[in-house]
Amino acid sequence: MMQTKRRLRHVSQAMLLAAMLFSGWPSVAKEQNASASSPKEEAKNAAEFKEFLDRVQTYVALHRRVNSSLPALKPTALTEMIAAHQQALARKIRDARPNAKLGDIFSEKSRLAFRRGVKDEFQGPHGHGARATIRQGDPLKEVHLRVNETYPDGAPFTTVPPTLLLKFPKLPDEVAYRIVGSDLILLDVDANLVIDSIYGIFPQTI
Amino acid sequence: MRKTRILLLSVVSIFFLVARADDFRFPLKSGSVRFAAIGDMGTGDAPQYEVAQRMVAARQDFPFEFVIMLGDNIYGGSAPKDFERKFEVPYKPLLDAGVKFYASLGNHDNPNERFYKPFNMNEASYYAFKKGNVRFFVLDSNYVDAKQLAWLQKQLQEAGASDWKICYFHHPLYSSGKTHGSSIELRSLIEPLFIKYGVDAVFSGHDHVYERVKPERGIYYFVEGSSGQLRPGDLAKSSITVDGFDSDRTFMLIEIAGDEMYFETLSRTGNQVDSGVLRRPVRTPEPAAAK
Repeated sequence: MMQTKRRLRHVSQAMLLAAMLFSGWPSVAKEQNASASSPKEEAKNAAEFKEFLDRVQTYVALHRRVNSSLPALKPTALTEMIAAHQQALARKIRDARPNAKLGDIFSEKSRLAFRRGVKDEFQGPHGHGARATIRQGDPLKEVHLRVNETYPDGAPFTTVPPTLLLKFPKLPDEVAYRIVGSDLILLDVDANLVIDSIYGIFPQTI
Repeated sequence: MRKTRILLLSVVSIFFLVARADDFRFPLKSGSVRFAAIGDMGTGDAPQYEVAQRMVAARQDFPFEFVIMLGDNIYGGSAPKDFERKFEVPYKPLLDAGVKFYASLGNHDNPNERFYKPFNMNEASYYAFKKGNVRFFVLDSNYVDAKQLAWLQKQLQEAGASDWKICYFHHPLYSSGKTHGSSIELRSLIEPLFIKYGVDAVFSGHDHVYERVKPERGIYYFVEGSSGQLRPGDLAKSSITVDGFDSDRTFMLIEIAGDEMYFETLSRTGNQVDSGVLRRPVRTPEPAAAK
């Protein structure tokens, strides 16, 4: 049984490798998505994520506005400046959205779509790899971060499985998907601030 | 499709290990590219300092110009005192001597390290730079999205075939470390690009051991994740292992001269753990597909 599973995994990796060798990466990504869902399903996904992506854009506009009110951060050897910028940005963003709560950015429809995407990923041919990727990233256990909370300083960042990232809607540079415990969080990268979360989306058993 | 296949480089992986002996010496050829590699170093504990001191001593005989950092540069926090204790103080003699450090991000690194000037990341979590006839591609293996993959493909494509291509990032595509092991999912996505565009060598960390891996599909892989951290006994030498070491901290010294890469791995106490010379693989354009 183990051998069969290993063989299947090798076959799926070899197929992916072959596909990428004979075409450019972006087109491979498209093909992978296309093979995973029909045009009808893709249209449905786009509709489900539209509100989410609109809200992300609104947030990013806020981030840029707040960031532009601070002295620009350029590469520096003064670590105090880097820390101060991160803290000031986080504080100002919190001030700008004091009542931010779960679901403000992950719309209801998108939450369902993300949950479905994660479930499909973990039950599909990349499921084993995705689990392994998360395990290898020293995942935080039994931690729930709240909206407007800073990502704990010094805590490791669990690698987000790249195959999952290819399924999720693309994000602007200011925000990123992160995994904390069994939650998917949306993190403001520069402010190191949690801006939304979907609790319990990943299996507890990873 | 046919054009793509014609352009596709088929890798003839001819690696010659022409030296592996106690009397290993770097050739110190004029114009060669000389650097050190450290990974998982930023603990601020005594062993990191001892490795750093050994690097300073090694530089007297092997004057390396820069250091590649394979991630987990600053463990346990990103306050100013962390940068000081885990980077600035241990490597001060090297920094004062003008040695440059080029960092990649590990899973224990705050992404805002990209603004820290001594890490030479220029605000980017993935970037490229060139030294002599060597091109370095530094990836953020914590977050490999479509954008980063497209960037990597473009960079490799534009790099041409004449220079060495070295990629480095935190999570190893091949590793016999018991704790983490190979990042198979990441491998399935980026190894095809490495093969297609002729990457010559790859350096990673994450597993707190040293391992030199057999050439895989014409590419040479190293794991150097014990320049501060260490997991004693964590290396389960396997069929992919050429050599490895897991009983003390290590760092690597590398010289690239023409088509040869000389390397030496030293332990915290100065013992030679591994060494050798690798010849760059000969790559020939794939013949046109038969009609």
